[in-house]
Amino acid sequence: MAKNESSKIVLDVAYQPQVRTNMDTKRIMLNVMLALLPSLLAATYEFGFKPVLMVIVSMCSAVFYEWAYRRLLKKNSTIFDFSACLTGMLVAMTLPTSAPWWLPLIGNFFAIVIVKQLYGGLGKNFVNPALASRAFLIASYAGIMTTWAPPRAMGVDAVTMATPMSYLYTGQPMPEYFSYGNMFLGIMPGCFGEACKLALLLGGLYLIIRKIISWRIPVSYIGTVAILTFAFGHEGYDNFSWMMYNILSGALILAAFFMATDYATSPVTMPGQLLYGVGCGALTVLIRYFGSYPEGVTYSILIMNICTWAIDKAFRRHQFGVTKEDIAAEKAAKKAAKEAAK
Amino acid sequence: MTHTFKRGVHPNYMKAPEIPISVVTPPPQVIIPMAQHIGAPDKPLVAVGDYVKMGQKIGENPAPVSAPVHSSVSGKVVAVEPRPHPLGDMIMSVVIENDYQDTPCEDLQPLTEQELKDPEAILTRIREAGVVGMGGAMFPTAFKIRGGIGKVDKLVINGAECEPYLNGDHLTMLNFPEQLLKGIELVRIASGVEKAYYGIEVNKKDAIDLLNSLHPEKYGIEIVPEKVKYPQGAEKMQVKAVTGREVKPGEIPSGVGANVVSTRTCYAVYQACYEGKPVIERIVTVAGSAMNQTANALTRVGTPLGYLAEQCGGFAVTPRKIVLGGPMMGICATSFDAPTIKGTAGVLFFTEKEDKTVENPSCIRCGKCITVCPMNLEPVFMYLYYSKGDFDMMQKYHITDCFECGSCSFNCPARMPLTHAFKTAKLMFQAKAAKEKAAAEAAAAKEAK
Repeated sequence: MAKNESSKIVLDVAYQPQVRTNMDTKRIMLNVMLALLPSLLAATYEFGFKPVLMVIVSMCSAVFYEWAYRRLLKKNSTIFDFSACLTGMLVAMTLPTSAPWWLPLIGNFFAIVIVKQLYGGLGKNFVNPALASRAFLIASYAGIMTTWAPPRAMGVDAVTMATPMSYLYTGQPMPEYFSYGNMFLGIMPGCFGEACKLALLLGGLYLIIRKIISWRIPVSYIGTVAILTFAFGHEGYDNFSWMMYNILSGALILAAFFMATDYATSPVTMPGQLLYGVGCGALTVLIRYFGSYPEGVTYSILIMNICTWAIDKAFRRHQFGVTKEDIAAEKAAKKAAKEAAK
Repeated sequence: MTHTFKRGVHPNYMKAPEIPISVVTPPPQVIIPMAQHIGAPDKPLVAVGDYVKMGQKIGENPAPVSAPVHSSVSGKVVAVEPRPHPLGDMIMSVVIENDYQDTPCEDLQPLTEQELKDPEAILTRIREAGVVGMGGAMFPTAFKIRGGIGKVDKLVINGAECEPYLNGDHLTMLNFPEQLLKGIELVRIASGVEKAYYGIEVNKKDAIDLLNSLHPEKYGIEIVPEKVKYPQGAEKMQVKAVTGREVKPGEIPSGVGANVVSTRTCYAVYQACYEGKPVIERIVTVAGSAMNQTANALTRVGTPLGYLAEQCGGFAVTPRKIVLGGPMMGICATSFDAPTIKGTAGVLFFTEKEDKTVENPSCIRCGKCITVCPMNLEPVFMYLYYSKGDFDMMQKYHITDCFECGSCSFNCPARMPLTHAFKTAKLMFQAKAAKEKAAAEAAAAKEAK
């Protein structure tokens, strides 16, 4: 290159590092949606094309709200990080199949505008938008949100039927057709995204392998629910089947992998994530035993979302080179200083 | 069993050790900056019009934390003036017109058999030959070793070469294994320790096997295979991996009785003592998407970057960024006319392809920075308090312990400028401390009156 040519080139200057990983926000969101796809496919198999339609309507509305809000407030557009898309998908997947098509429009307005954007957008919201919107919809449209259509494979000729969750909540014995196998494969009524446990586990496993979520939250969450329900049991059930029904019914698996692990609203410290999972599990069981709604999962995660900041503060780790002895010495010095002040 | 430290990242290594060392024809003019080390800059010993030989000392400073510089070619001094320095700024440099004779300077003779066993003679030679930390930090090696005598019981040689792209250390091991082992032995003798531990990442398996076949125990060296992970080559991580000791916050490795010397430095020590050759050339990896090809180029110190690129195959497209060193901790050069210096292990010409910055980055609080920080810090909170300008909280989150390895920024999906922020914050802390010190001194002076 000629000298006068090289002097014309304007060079970029940046602090290190000059290279970055390929996994960016957009890819993370797309990967989570990919992980939800098996569950959506299973729902399509069980309930027909209504779930797909609902997801599409929901995603479009979520993206529209995100775009419109940022546009009206003259902020930079964030629709291409696909986080609104994902929120829309999750909002739809926690609805019953029989819900009307316009319900996601309301749910997404609450999720995107009120919960997410009013607090500053992606990463700034303090509760999970999809779950908050679900809580909002349950309070506002209790009838719609608790009407469940039976899946095709059950072969029942009925418009609505009770979910395993309602049997658990009332403590009635579980009907025979809710076998472990059927519940695992999603042959049961319920929100269409939470039905097929197999598909959800596949998706969750994929996210853990891709290191998009850590194993800590789902394992500690589901583990706590399993241990507590097994330990306390319930009248009319043996402890093991009570535990299995508790794990397999409701939105537990979906929420443990896809809702509780939401970055913005879960702890970032490693022991904090474990405690958060245990907290979610304990609250879920408490609400299922004593609550006035059978909505343990939704409310437990929302409550733990609020505790996230405090949990992160409590589990500060020590920097490299600080040993246990150093910490003990520091504590002793502080104590001595306090006593000297007295 | 491979040794390592906790956390860290796995960048795309892009290494090409299979490309043999090519020798770059020295440029018509070399530019030798007077600051090629940490510490006091040198004062030029030559004036315009002087004739200098290859390897002749042309700059020196008597301060202990400094190293002399030598001419990398023979020829006439045409300018002694500030020139663009690769690390920014204009720095006093000596410009030498190359006569292409490479007339050697006879000032430094190989050390005698006896001197090769005398720590003091070796240390004097290391300083005289201008050896500095050639991994990139450019800390004067003689001063480092002297500072560790008596305190250090474990000498760690750094052969991790954990930065992507760079191949210089690997190729030195493969092409000059015996010389390298002898160089390490000299550093070990100078440090006054019985044994040196040579930590090498296992992606250099061929080099490990080759060195092991040469009986390193004869030289008092043990090869320690290490897991491939960035920043394995950082001093503190290297000490942790090899000795299991953790350097305390704010301290240097000699605080736990370890000293870390890089592969290239040991080879430079060999050349200085056995061949009487000062530091005037090194292997520079020239790579990046703007280049037609990758080269492992034996380059004289003072070769302008634009000339170097031309000699190594030229540009395929116009580069947007010049990175000196590896891409993880490397610094951007601002001019094609800036020369390579002793610490330049690589020159990377990057285009948009490597650039992954985004407009309006927004933290998604994923915590991926926490899972990779080798110093156990919490970058997500450090950045939060940085953006608020909250100095007390920054200190509480130990922002000054960050050694800017760049792992957090590398791993950040939201592309937050984390390392950038911490570097800036550390500078702010330094400025604040200096200001407070000045104020305290002024107050003391007032009181004295």
